[in-house]
Amino acid sequence: MKILRFGAVGLAAALVLTACSAGDDAADGSNDASGGTDGAQIRVWLVGTDTPDEAREYLTTTFEEENPGSTLTIEEQSWTGLVDKLTTALSSSDSPDVVEVGNTQAATFTSAGYFAPLDDIAEDLGGDDLLPGFVKAGTWEDTFYAAPYYAGSRIVFYSDQILGGAALPTTLEEYVEAAKSVRTADHSGVWFPGQDWYNALPFVWENGGFIAEPGDDGAWEAGFSSPGGIKGLKQVQDLMVNASNAPKDGDEAELQVPFCAGQTTFLSAPNWIRWSIQAPADAEAPGCADTFGADLHAFPLPGATAGETAKVFAGGSNVAVATKSANVDLAKKALTILLSDDYQTILAENSMIPAKKSLVSALPDDEFTLASAAAAANAELTPATPKWGDVEAQKVIQDALVQIAQGGDVETIATELDAQIESILNG
Amino acid sequence: MSLAPAGTVPVVAPAAPVAGVVRRRPARRRAASVGWGVLAALLAAAFAFPVYWMVNTSFLPTNLIIGPELHLWPDEPTLRNYDTAMFHQERAPFVPALGNSLQVTFLVLVASMVLAFFASLAVTRFRFRGRAAFVLSILVIQMVPGEAMMISVFQMVDSWRLLNTVIALGVVYLAGVLPFTIWTLRGFVNGVPVELEEAAMIDGCSRPRAFWKITFPLLAPGLVSTGVFAFLQAWNEFMMALIIMTRPESMTLPVWLRTFQQATKSTDWGALMAGSVLVAVPVVVFFLIVQGRMTGGLVSGAVKG
Amino acid sequence: MSSTMLRPAPPGAAPPPRATRAITPTRLLPWALLAPSLAVLVVITGYPLVRMLWLSVHEYERAQLLGVPAQFVGLDNYVATLTDERFWAVTARSFAFMLVCVVATITAGTLVALLLMKLGRAMRLVLSVALLLAWAMPPLAAMLVWGWIFDTQYGVVNHLLTAVTGESWMGHSWLISPLSFFAVAALVIVWGAIPFVAFTLYAGFTQVPGEVLEAAQLDGANARQRFFDVQVPYVRTIYVVLIVLSMIWDLKVFTQIFVLQGIGGVKSETSTLGVYIYEMGMAQGHYGAASAIAVIFTVLMLAISAYYVRVTVKEEPL
Repeated sequence: MKILRFGAVGLAAALVLTACSAGDDAADGSNDASGGTDGAQIRVWLVGTDTPDEAREYLTTTFEEENPGSTLTIEEQSWTGLVDKLTTALSSSDSPDVVEVGNTQAATFTSAGYFAPLDDIAEDLGGDDLLPGFVKAGTWEDTFYAAPYYAGSRIVFYSDQILGGAALPTTLEEYVEAAKSVRTADHSGVWFPGQDWYNALPFVWENGGFIAEPGDDGAWEAGFSSPGGIKGLKQVQDLMVNASNAPKDGDEAELQVPFCAGQTTFLSAPNWIRWSIQAPADAEAPGCADTFGADLHAFPLPGATAGETAKVFAGGSNVAVATKSANVDLAKKALTILLSDDYQTILAENSMIPAKKSLVSALPDDEFTLASAAAAANAELTPATPKWGDVEAQKVIQDALVQIAQGGDVETIATELDAQIESILNG
Repeated sequence: MSLAPAGTVPVVAPAAPVAGVVRRRPARRRAASVGWGVLAALLAAAFAFPVYWMVNTSFLPTNLIIGPELHLWPDEPTLRNYDTAMFHQERAPFVPALGNSLQVTFLVLVASMVLAFFASLAVTRFRFRGRAAFVLSILVIQMVPGEAMMISVFQMVDSWRLLNTVIALGVVYLAGVLPFTIWTLRGFVNGVPVELEEAAMIDGCSRPRAFWKITFPLLAPGLVSTGVFAFLQAWNEFMMALIIMTRPESMTLPVWLRTFQQATKSTDWGALMAGSVLVAVPVVVFFLIVQGRMTGGLVSGAVKG
Repeated sequence: MSSTMLRPAPPGAAPPPRATRAITPTRLLPWALLAPSLAVLVVITGYPLVRMLWLSVHEYERAQLLGVPAQFVGLDNYVATLTDERFWAVTARSFAFMLVCVVATITAGTLVALLLMKLGRAMRLVLSVALLLAWAMPPLAAMLVWGWIFDTQYGVVNHLLTAVTGESWMGHSWLISPLSFFAVAALVIVWGAIPFVAFTLYAGFTQVPGEVLEAAQLDGANARQRFFDVQVPYVRTIYVVLIVLSMIWDLKVFTQIFVLQGIGGVKSETSTLGVYIYEMGMAQGHYGAASAIAVIFTVLMLAISAYYVRVTVKEEPL
């Protein structure tokens, strides 16, 4: 009994200490301001750390200036489990107002009615100036739901110190050969983790393969086992087995770590990795500003023919207004700010490719951004169907790539992968 | 994770971990007992190692954690990881999470002990129609995978407009622990002879008073078991918390801890370990406090005399 | 064995007469005691349970969460599940995993319990504290720590193996092959489960009267015979309960596998039933299909524990 009493007293004491911060918020949490715009709180869900602080401040300040009496809060989410979290949150009575989603995830939500139509403000957002591929990803049955937010693409990083004086590859074949030629037991030509499907796609595309396209009868056909697909996947296998020491089941996280340890010559990564590499060595997420970050360079992945860039995966996000937002009009205003020239210029200045084509000039002149813009100009997206979300959720492509990385038979793996994709997309 | 006793048993006084029953062999077996001691030490090291490793990593600076050498001991200890974990997680503030976890756990702890006590009394001391059905159903409930019911629970809580509230999460957890706690206490109550209560009633107690004065104190070990189980479930659960507490300020500690696992940035292992320590410490402390009462109590409801 | 039934007492303060067993107006008391628990359970668990059955015969996807009416599809979800080879792979995997975990836990738990009995006070305390630490670790934190210990690039296991064997184990991934993945998962789960089993069995064994053991030894029984023929029968009930509970919990395991999959490994080859249901339902939005799987799963579990359930219900005076 004494123990229980002790425990009760102890807990009560702890509760008193923490009651202020937790209790009130938790109790108020489910009541957004009802009705009019006075005192409304708009919640914006941004994902990951990509959006720079300067932009976040701009958003909050501008919104509150333009809508006196209302506040805007940014709640940062994690990419892991985002789709699950959005599904429940957006369907609840306590839905966030504006959300960011990956461009490949947009279709999952647009097709189920989770986003409010944006046709009425499409012109304000930018109209034809918006990146077309992203607009397509955010449109469902001719209604525009999710606007582009920013784009990114992968570029190939290298450090002069490691590359030495070797010439940069001008075609995809040369890239593969160059990577293989410098590989040793503890040095990779290119760092290619097994689950990195984003980096495998350019090889498939450049060789004439495709992910999936609607056939004549309307059913989806997957293209990994098409002749072009197999050729591309074999190149991928070549790289993974003969040029890379990266974990065969690794994914695309923490890419700056092996680069900063000097373990690889080439690193194909999203353009923002540049900041991670050039971070000082004693930062929280340490980089190598003094060593390999000092002479960091980048170029867009070369295409199959010299002088062209490869088709790369179009990374990036869309933003949308939740159907069940308590203040759809205010949310649309917040969205407009996100897509305003000023805001997008801030993003551009931070090397994120803006959602509006006209603002490309605001991108800094450094080689990284130029490389990234060049790559992005030739970017492709995943199939625009809501079931694509399932393909990503079930990680079928990643699983197939891991098998390829371990040296499995490409034809068999690709055929099975296509069967799986088709059954998910058509099922 | 307490015991679910299977039959009617008399109460056995809580057995202390020290066994007075097994007698020591004479001195010629001293060598063997040294052997057992060594084995025990090795096992203890094996069991405690992850906990040690967690604490060790939490005090190491990041550049030493992610490095080619192994540091078995924090030779350059730093508090930075704790600082990061507690004060620099913008997407997930620590203090509110701690407060939420404490509140939810306290709620579940108290409510489950009270409700399970009452229910176990009802189910063992009385005969009424539907009793067997109730006992059977709380056994069957425990076999249903909770993952399939999550969406329905979510929709229900949402329809009450109680998302992001401690009370909603607490009640959900309560429903989760009640079947097991009722089951456990049922065995313990079975072990308290009804004659004791009847004797008290002959002496003038009303039935409720008899329950309170006689049965309740004898159930102490069982209540401790129940309390430990409820505490563990409420403190550690994270799936329902993830779904019901959608706002950063209403997160519980497990949800908070999970935000350290990120897809696009490198995992800050030091901060992650520091966070894990913060989540694990209250449980360990709680366990150490109640362990004496607990191990004795666990079995007294189950051994057939 | 004394009866546990309380003889009902008539109202009033006077001492009740002893002999009668009349039906009395206080029949409401048990219901009053049961009411709060019943209320919580019916609402929070009963309703979702019923709803789960309803969902399993409808097509219920993301759109339905927003209010689009769901279509009744009869047994389609069940048929689709039972003919899906992924489901059977997951089920087989889950059962195999459960068996390994249960056998390991019970065996190791028994051995640790026996060891505890042989130790002196000091060492017993040391071991008990270590076991308590393992038991107290929250599963989420434990899995993250173990994931770190087995980390591909910087984990201490790879470090130690490199030092011990002389070959470089750095970069060896412990989660990539399903077998290795489950070995790690089993290690973590068993590590966390042994303390409870060990303590419980220890307390049970110490209840075995010393005289009986000594008599057996005087009769010439060796340690193994003493264990199986004397000690085990005394704690047979405990074993039954521990085994059944372990089977249920290890079959339902979710957190550990879920977190470990987030660290590495190939999802399609490492999902167990709990994770599979979550994937199907919450992650992909096929709530109807997920519910069907859950119903099938529950029926399977009932089948396994049928013996235990029947024994319990039989002992319940109806």
